[in-house]
Amino acid sequence: MSALDVEIQLLAVVVAVACALPGVFLVLRRLALMSDAISHSILLGIVLAFFWVQDLAHPLLVLAATATGVITVALVEALHRTRRVKEDAAIALVFPALFSVAVLLIARYAGSVHLDVDAVLLGEIAFSPFRRLEVAGMDLGPRSLWLMSAILVLNVAALAVFWKELKVSTFDAGLAAAMGFSPALIHYGFMGLVSVTAVGAFDAVGSILVVALMIAPPAAAWLLTDRLPVMVVLSGALAAFSAVAGFWAARAIDASIAGSMAAMAGVVFLAAILFAPHRGVVAGIRRRARQRLDFARTMLMVHLLNHEGGARARVENQMGHLQEHLQWSPDFARRVVRRAERQGLLERQSGGRLRLTPLGREEARHRMVR
Amino acid sequence: MIRRESGAPVPAIEVNDLTVAYGEQPVLWDIDLTIRQGVLTAIVGPNGAGKTTLIKAILELVPRAAGRVEVLGRPYRDARGEVAYVPQRGSVDWDFPTSVLDVVLMGTYGRLGWIRRPGRRERREAMQALEKVGMEAFADRQISQLSGGQQQRVFLARALVQEARIHLMDEPFQGVDARTEKAIVEVLRELRARGDTVVCVHHALQTVREYFDEVALLNVRMIAAGPVDEAFTEPNLRLAYGGRVPFLQGVTGFEAPGGGP
Amino acid sequence: MSDGGLFHALLFDYTLRTVALGAGALGAVAGALGCFAVLRRQSLLGDAISHAALPGIGLAFLLTGSRATPVLVLGAALAGWIGTLFVLGIVKHSRIPEDSALGIILSVFFGIGLVILTFVQRRPTAAQAGLETFLFGQAATLMVRDVLLIVGVGAVALLLLALFWKEFKLLTFDREFGVALGFPMVRIDVLLTTLLVVGIVLGLQTVGVVLMSALVVAPAAAARQWTDSLSVMVILAGVLGGIAGVTGALVSATGGGVPTGPTIVLVASAVVVVSLLVAPGRGLVSELVRRFRVRRRVRADVVLSDLYALAAQHGESGEHAHPVAVLRAMHRGQAGTRRSLGVLAERGWAREVEPDRWAITPEGVERARTLFLPGAGEDGAGAQVEDRGVVAPGGEP
Repeated sequence: MSALDVEIQLLAVVVAVACALPGVFLVLRRLALMSDAISHSILLGIVLAFFWVQDLAHPLLVLAATATGVITVALVEALHRTRRVKEDAAIALVFPALFSVAVLLIARYAGSVHLDVDAVLLGEIAFSPFRRLEVAGMDLGPRSLWLMSAILVLNVAALAVFWKELKVSTFDAGLAAAMGFSPALIHYGFMGLVSVTAVGAFDAVGSILVVALMIAPPAAAWLLTDRLPVMVVLSGALAAFSAVAGFWAARAIDASIAGSMAAMAGVVFLAAILFAPHRGVVAGIRRRARQRLDFARTMLMVHLLNHEGGARARVENQMGHLQEHLQWSPDFARRVVRRAERQGLLERQSGGRLRLTPLGREEARHRMVR
Repeated sequence: MIRRESGAPVPAIEVNDLTVAYGEQPVLWDIDLTIRQGVLTAIVGPNGAGKTTLIKAILELVPRAAGRVEVLGRPYRDARGEVAYVPQRGSVDWDFPTSVLDVVLMGTYGRLGWIRRPGRRERREAMQALEKVGMEAFADRQISQLSGGQQQRVFLARALVQEARIHLMDEPFQGVDARTEKAIVEVLRELRARGDTVVCVHHALQTVREYFDEVALLNVRMIAAGPVDEAFTEPNLRLAYGGRVPFLQGVTGFEAPGGGP
Repeated sequence: MSDGGLFHALLFDYTLRTVALGAGALGAVAGALGCFAVLRRQSLLGDAISHAALPGIGLAFLLTGSRATPVLVLGAALAGWIGTLFVLGIVKHSRIPEDSALGIILSVFFGIGLVILTFVQRRPTAAQAGLETFLFGQAATLMVRDVLLIVGVGAVALLLLALFWKEFKLLTFDREFGVALGFPMVRIDVLLTTLLVVGIVLGLQTVGVVLMSALVVAPAAAARQWTDSLSVMVILAGVLGGIAGVTGALVSATGGGVPTGPTIVLVASAVVVVSLLVAPGRGLVSELVRRFRVRRRVRADVVLSDLYALAAQHGESGEHAHPVAVLRAMHRGQAGTRRSLGVLAERGWAREVEPDRWAITPEGVERARTLFLPGAGEDGAGAQVEDRGVVAPGGEP
């Protein structure tokens, strides 16, 4: 592994983790697609600022792009508030327009400069290490690594300092407002954080793959845990894993590193949704199979209880009746009855009639009331 | 009225052992319910009792975990044309670009089948239905311009053109003005007069006695069902709503024995 | 190039005519189908579908080695469909909300697409596939057979839309009612979603995966502002989409390598902005005018109530005049008292007895009673509110 490889991987990990942290709250606040809008429209800020200062390394670019991101959010919300379009349409109208202006400006006026359209989508993480940060002639490493590390530190600090506010406003905006935290301030502050992160990551992975890094690891983490602090840490870990795994996969087939990182984030998410211990699809299927019997047993007891002593008890509480009315196969009905019998909840009487034991009656009442 | 060979009338709707679960959480437990033909029945119960779910389960809009539903003595699927449905007003987007008449015409779609469009005859029927609910002047109005009560009447008109004999309505009186309430009650009585059956999910306990013939008290399981006089009693309401029922005072129309709790 | 020159070129340049026809047909199809996506709040599903199509394009090329448009479009459609299924599956089988599911699918599929594309490009044997035009679209690459494909498939899609119009309307407005009527709404949903996928992938060569969803959403959002009828909306969206397509493609094709997608999207966005502002009824300008009128009337009513209260205090017949300064003081120095008095005078509810001294007229007293006394004239007032229909779109009245 060359020094170059190490630097690329380091940058990939820093980018991925920096994206995943605010991503947790994007997912929980149902703002996932706002990241899509932001990551596209920041290009306009970059392009406009570039025309102004004529220097791709100028800090004004980051500032202008971040501002554009926040303006995008405001525009989407303003458009939605006119009640002429729904929110999803508002998003789908605002960012393509801003992005289109940016792309056209690049194609028309900046074709020869370092900004080109492909880089916007692909990112150029593989080339990032070639742009070095030099202070007084000393090589301090890739410039984007410094920028991204600063953003990562900013994200960690912001999450640590405003943890309580973010948490409360995410789960109960009304309560947050009542406690004196302005939801609008938190919202726009947070969107600013997302914007600056997107701006930093944009250089490395391009505008669309930023979305994958922001959303997929937190979504996967949410399937693995119910606790917010764990979710944050897990998101970072999954993001870092996706970054490194993506790098090596790309290496193996000589393809886009950024694309491969996004694909890996997708693989991680797919694995989570299938195999998460409690919330995964596989676990769900197994649990349902188990619970089907439990549920059927309870259903049987409630049925018996409801018809106990009624005029039709003699008919309803028959073994044969279960097949007809509860639409159980004879085999399934026998299994359910045997199970309940073993648990001492009911007894079989002559002629196939079923009767609840006192214990069974108690249990049925209890389950029905919930 | 549809009768069995023996001459006894077939129930409009017969629900047997119906259980519905969302995920693993049962929302209806082992419901048995018989709705007679030609009567107005209210389904009453606290929030989360499964009233809407019961109607949706009858209509096969939600899957049943167990149980059978028969409509006029046939499985629901074979008798679908006999059943009209008035969903909750809030279930659709009233900003949809369409006119009142157009919404009412949707009631004829089932009869028209695939691809065929509503024609002059359907339009005439839709206008008649709108007249019945006092909305004929609004036929060309865009639906977002309607008040809540007017929206409800449009939904009612849509059910009327379904030409069904059984009408399932989900909270038709929810949040409507007095004029609409009166209009709806009139339509319900007209339906009953021609032998139709109406089942309403109903919230306002104080009007149950005035509007309905029969009542089903529901709270996840069936608490009581039958003629209002027999089933709509304070003990049953207590069972359905839990112990805390000071608001029930006087609702049932009976003096509480011994002068109250 | 001047407008005259562009027009001339359109008439006499075969290539330009081809490009314009293709982009126009595409805009029309996408615009018409987009109406349903927008009304079903699936605007961003379009975005996910178009991004998800990218790996399909790459794989189709990789597997067949063919650059023929039908092959690539088929690959794109399959991938777009699979992406849609993934979104539905994630939402149904997990706690992940729809917006996150859409975000994951669009970005991850796009990432996979980029991996395939870069893999294809870097293979030593591969001739330049030129697949990157699918990112932002290049109308200039449209051949006659591509245009024929767009027109042919688009026509079939629109025909199906017309044929199942009633069913699609039912699905969009009230799906559950459709189920209760006995229609297989799942199958209808599959058909409509398929049409949407087809409309989107047809546009990938011209508009590109990144921005195609805008061509689906923008014409529909614009058309919605001009009409309250679904059929008019769909036709209008088709026309607007067609105009955006033709304009954008021509500007791009004659503008020296400017990508087509962004050009078309900008034209469509401009149409949206204009529609939002000036459409009669729903337009924001007419809303402002309406609000201004209402505010003026409410202000006038407030002054009327003051006059009425003063008259009641004085206990005379109402012809006693009061100075403007008093009225102004009564509502805490709010501006416009004099203008409100002017409005009242216009309607004959107040009159200026002598300079700067005003009195309420008998008609004004009558009006004030119906306005402010509970119960008086309630029926009339209620009916008025119902019939005026001033409720803003989308709002609960």
